[in-house]
Amino acid sequence: MSLKTRWKILLAISIYGVLVSLSILFHQQSDDLLVHDVSRLFPDHVNEIVEGNEIESFQNAIHDANENDLAVSIGGARHSQGGHSYYEDSVFLDMTSYNDIVSIEPDEKLITVESGATWADVQEAVNPYGLSVKVMQSSNVFTIGGSLSSNVHGRDPRYGSIIETVHSFRLLQFDGTIVDVTPEEHPSLFQSVIGGFGLFGVILDVTLELQDNEIYLATTESIDLDEYPEYIRKHVMDQGDVGLHFARLSASPDDLLEDMYFTTYHVVDESESDYPTKEELDDLTPLQEEEHVLRDKFAFGLSRKFDWAKTAVWDLQQKLYGENDEDEWITRNNAMRPPIEFLEYDSSRNTDILQEYFVPVDHFPTFVGDLREIVRKEDLNLLNATVRYMPKSTDATMSYAKEDMLAIVIYVNHSMSDKGIEHMEQATQQMVDAALDLGGTYYLTYQLYPTKEQLKEAYPNFDEFLRLKEQFDPNKRFMNNFYEEYES
Amino acid sequence: MMLKWVVRSQSVLLFGTGLVFPFYIVFLSESGASFSEFGLAYGLFTVSAALVHHWVGRYSDLFGRKIFLLVSAWGNAIVYLVFPVVQEMLAVYIIQVVLGILGALQKTSEKALVADFTDGSNRGVLIGRYHFWISLWSGAAVMVSGFLIDLLTLSVIFYLGSFICFLSGVLTLFIQEEKELGS
Repeated sequence: MSLKTRWKILLAISIYGVLVSLSILFHQQSDDLLVHDVSRLFPDHVNEIVEGNEIESFQNAIHDANENDLAVSIGGARHSQGGHSYYEDSVFLDMTSYNDIVSIEPDEKLITVESGATWADVQEAVNPYGLSVKVMQSSNVFTIGGSLSSNVHGRDPRYGSIIETVHSFRLLQFDGTIVDVTPEEHPSLFQSVIGGFGLFGVILDVTLELQDNEIYLATTESIDLDEYPEYIRKHVMDQGDVGLHFARLSASPDDLLEDMYFTTYHVVDESESDYPTKEELDDLTPLQEEEHVLRDKFAFGLSRKFDWAKTAVWDLQQKLYGENDEDEWITRNNAMRPPIEFLEYDSSRNTDILQEYFVPVDHFPTFVGDLREIVRKEDLNLLNATVRYMPKSTDATMSYAKEDMLAIVIYVNHSMSDKGIEHMEQATQQMVDAALDLGGTYYLTYQLYPTKEQLKEAYPNFDEFLRLKEQFDPNKRFMNNFYEEYES
Repeated sequence: MMLKWVVRSQSVLLFGTGLVFPFYIVFLSESGASFSEFGLAYGLFTVSAALVHHWVGRYSDLFGRKIFLLVSAWGNAIVYLVFPVVQEMLAVYIIQVVLGILGALQKTSEKALVADFTDGSNRGVLIGRYHFWISLWSGAAVMVSGFLIDLLTLSVIFYLGSFICFLSGVLTLFIQEEKELGS
């Protein structure tokens, strides 16, 4: 190789190196301001992302937004799936660094946390005190602020949605002022901020009610779909000794939404003979970490693609949950941190979405029948279907449980193409109609596929909600895609 | 036997472009392109190539083929670096025109060069062998690429493709044109 060629190659490598670095740099910058939720559908470019662990940084951001007439959007774990946590060209407040535990009052059974803390943070903080969260989602990856904004519910049949367990919170409003919100002092704010998807201000810190970290024994049994409402009425509803309850419906094509089994966690009282000894308690109390992430991720990945894998996963789940849990003590905190990491999925061509429908307990078999028909007819790639009992809970302006309901959560994989989205949209509208026809509702935290008419039928207080939004945020400083879609 | 370096550099180039091309439609669908936009983008690629083939042929006779192969390889390497950053459909169209031109530089010069390095008696054998290697690499690239995208992200493919095109340019430097230019 001549000297000249060598120099040429060296020069080319240097120039190319610079270009690669530039490209990667721009690539990262261009992605930084692109905000999306876990479903990765409908991302938006925001104007600025503000992070911080000081209230001042959020106050300053709101001040600047007012000056420059920019919208403000607020995000936590971003597991809502309809753009509730972000908005095009807005100042995006990423609350996840604002996550300290402020105080724990064991005697009053209260905890105060900053809104960016997750349930995992709370569980770690309260577990040493023998305390536990009253209402949270099935998984602990969500932030407290986001959970309040979606007015989530859990699996404990003794409580309704989270609003019933919130003692108070502080809210940063559109004009930069901070207000202490309790149900007594600011009832309309209390009822609208919870379940209000960040449209009324920034939830700063929250004081939540706790309860004892009970000891449970779980039973898992299969049950006939038609007999389930009766089981709920007799053995779950108003039973003080049922700590947690949920059920699973088969997503296997062979017995799609027909086979069903439930798991009920019964409280073991200290006075009972089968209560664990002190040593056994020491073994049970530490928080468990998620195991078998890779195994489960692989199995779930296969079931996205193949029907035989759906059947295999269903059989495996029945085996795992059905046989292992039997007659084994588990603490409430450990029962309330089931695995989720294996569900993380990042294909660029399709996505897993969640939806949730609520129907009055007795209409459950009819609704599941309708759902089965829609899933078959529309050929939806249903991966998972679970059921929870949701007692009547009407404190929030946007309440979804107008009476005692059964909540059906479905997990569907669908294409991210325009066509795939359109298809899912019209299938969703059919499912919403099926729920509405039976006096049911649907959960607002997911995609914006339902029509405005459907939303108003499910949430008759929606007009009142819009009125309150105008009252508490007259300049519409706090914006998100949910509000934009349905306000007019 | 200088055809060796042509085979090497062009096999590597087709491996690099083969990594990117078939899946780049996925990239377009991620930017939310419709079918008519796909059509326009691909059409622009071919039409822009058509318009420069003549010109490339003539000037490669004058200035040699190697420089065109080099521009094509390094040009592709640079354009692939732009892809992960692109967000506008207009930018995609411009890139398509540039890639069409780069493709034309490569195709015409490559064929002319292969012809330069062969003569009547065994030309068929050599061209056959040349295409065997080129196609093999190109096909391998498509399979490898599909597998990689499943595991990694689409952006990684652009960077990998870019690096391999750059490498092809380096290999092109080793080609020594023996024929008299302008004859």
